Amino acid sequence: MKRSPLTLQRQLFGSLANSAFTLALFALLVWAGWGVLSWAFGSAQWLVLRANAATLTIGRYPDAQEWRLWLLLGMLTSLAGVSWGRLRGLNNWPLNDRIAALLFVISAVLLPWLLAFGAINQLRLIFLVLLLLLLRQWSGGAWSKAFGKWWALVWGITYVFGLWLIAGGLGLPAVRPSDWGGLVFTLLITSLTLLLALPFGVLLALGRRSGLLLVRWVCVAVIELIRGAPLITLLFVGQNLVGFLSPNGFAPDRVWRATGVLTVFAAAYLAEAVRGGLNSIPMGQQEAARSLGLSSVQTMGLVVLPQALKVALPALGGQFISLLQDTTLLSIVGLFDLLGIARSVLSNPDWLGRYAEVYLFLAVLYWCSCAALALGSRALEKRLATNYS
Amino acid sequence: MQPTKQLMVQAKGVQKWYPNGFHVLRGVDLEVFRGEKVVIMGPSGSGKSTFLRTFNALEDYQEGSIVVDGMELNNDLRNIDAVRREVGMVFQQFNLFPHLSVLDNLLLAPTWVRKRKREDVIQQALSMLERVGISEQAYKFPGQLSGGQQQRVAIARALCMEPRLMLFDEPTSSLDPEKVREVLDVMRLLALDGMTMVVVTHEVAFAREVADRVILMDEGQVVEIAPPDQFFNHPKHERTQRFLAQIL
Repeated sequence: MKRSPLTLQRQLFGSLANSAFTLALFALLVWAGWGVLSWAFGSAQWLVLRANAATLTIGRYPDAQEWRLWLLLGMLTSLAGVSWGRLRGLNNWPLNDRIAALLFVISAVLLPWLLAFGAINQLRLIFLVLLLLLLRQWSGGAWSKAFGKWWALVWGITYVFGLWLIAGGLGLPAVRPSDWGGLVFTLLITSLTLLLALPFGVLLALGRRSGLLLVRWVCVAVIELIRGAPLITLLFVGQNLVGFLSPNGFAPDRVWRATGVLTVFAAAYLAEAVRGGLNSIPMGQQEAARSLGLSSVQTMGLVVLPQALKVALPALGGQFISLLQDTTLLSIVGLFDLLGIARSVLSNPDWLGRYAEVYLFLAVLYWCSCAALALGSRALEKRLATNYS
Repeated sequence: MQPTKQLMVQAKGVQKWYPNGFHVLRGVDLEVFRGEKVVIMGPSGSGKSTFLRTFNALEDYQEGSIVVDGMELNNDLRNIDAVRREVGMVFQQFNLFPHLSVLDNLLLAPTWVRKRKREDVIQQALSMLERVGISEQAYKFPGQLSGGQQQRVAIARALCMEPRLMLFDEPTSSLDPEKVREVLDVMRLLALDGMTMVVVTHEVAFAREVADRVILMDEGQVVEIAPPDQFFNHPKHERTQRFLAQIL
């Protein structure tokens, strides 16, 4: 018997009951959408965002040092533009990026206006987006292929340079970590934790499979102890107990303590994802590699781990998204991440009761960041796919 | 045969127990000479694959001794590494590296183990692929190839290390019947080139044509060693006769 495919029309209006249900849901959606829109353009007071845009973005970072963040943003934009162009040159680049380019242009024009960034910042942002799009256009060419090998290194150096720009020292006036805040702080601590936690997680996963009993026990203990405790309790331990136990002045800054706790926490979960990947690689792969004369380290690094990480990539991507969202807990232990700075804005008597506006804005920002991570890991999955069988 | 026979493999009284206590090798002796082709047959569970895998230390053993190309396989890890560099192995499941292109599968060991430059070995790798008849697939991934093609790549990959001894562990057992021939043809060519080969297989025609000696293993022991003509036509042992009656 041949079954005709279920068209959208048949799914929605196949029977009397279906039609009634569809219409009822549609009415509900219209009603809810109307409510949101009439609030957004009617009674909502968006001034709270305009007045605090800088605070939400960079926290209590000193105004006089703001140029450092702009410089960093400019460097990251340039690198991103070149990387974008290089990725586009690959034949299996999966995204239709005209839409992405359009989104960048729109947000460069619209966001500063909505948030009242001021004319100078507006011009800066437009310049940056132009730079991004131009580099994207140019960098498919030969000159970027020529130093393709070194590109990852350029990113790495820029990242370290960026940390120095933000923190200062060595010539620049230092900005204490506790004065960092807002979106910049959230992105910084997320990326730092992610970069530290991945290698640590891989080591934990390898240790858990090690033949050395002591190594294995230690790794199992670390992983299971950390996975057995809620992140918030670990953060409190890091913020209070560590400071309490160490002699005065010896405890690292609260930001670094939080970074450490987040790193270890994320590593424990990443380790389990990596272990799943490792378990999925058949023994034959190791045997083939060893029979060719590769050492056990080479076998792991060149044959087993690349495949295992590929298998684990969807799970790893999920963990990265969780990590970004987990940084909101830092606001509870008194750090000024995006959520923390928003709470401090809302506690100002001037902005009493503007919860909906601020939290909606945060939700959209977080959603965009998480969506970007999800898209990135999906694109990477597609790019790495080599199994056609 | 050469006037002076040089030993390639010398196994004496090899005994192995699996961790669960199963006595899988019960005192196996075998000598393989340079340039010789030895085919090992036997029912499943006879220990023939396990025995073959002791030659490059993929399996350890508890008693006896194995010397490969003058190097004893003992607890000295340097010897094990040295032997593995000189001994190529082809597996039943091909075991190509699916995340690397065919060419990179071939180049991995020469560049990382022999520390040779990629540009220097690329020509050798391509000519090796030509030798096994799939040079046009060099830039594909293993998952895009048929089983027979994959096994030929696996042979080429082992040959890129210029081994002195090639081990084949049931190389055609997981292939579709019509793909078996293309793999055996490559192995015949290799035999004609004078490669020393130890082959665990059920392919009687191949054994008759290529082997210098055929071995029957059963229950962890060598039952019979004879030239193929004698092995297949006038086997001495009752166990060999029974085995042949089942497979012929």
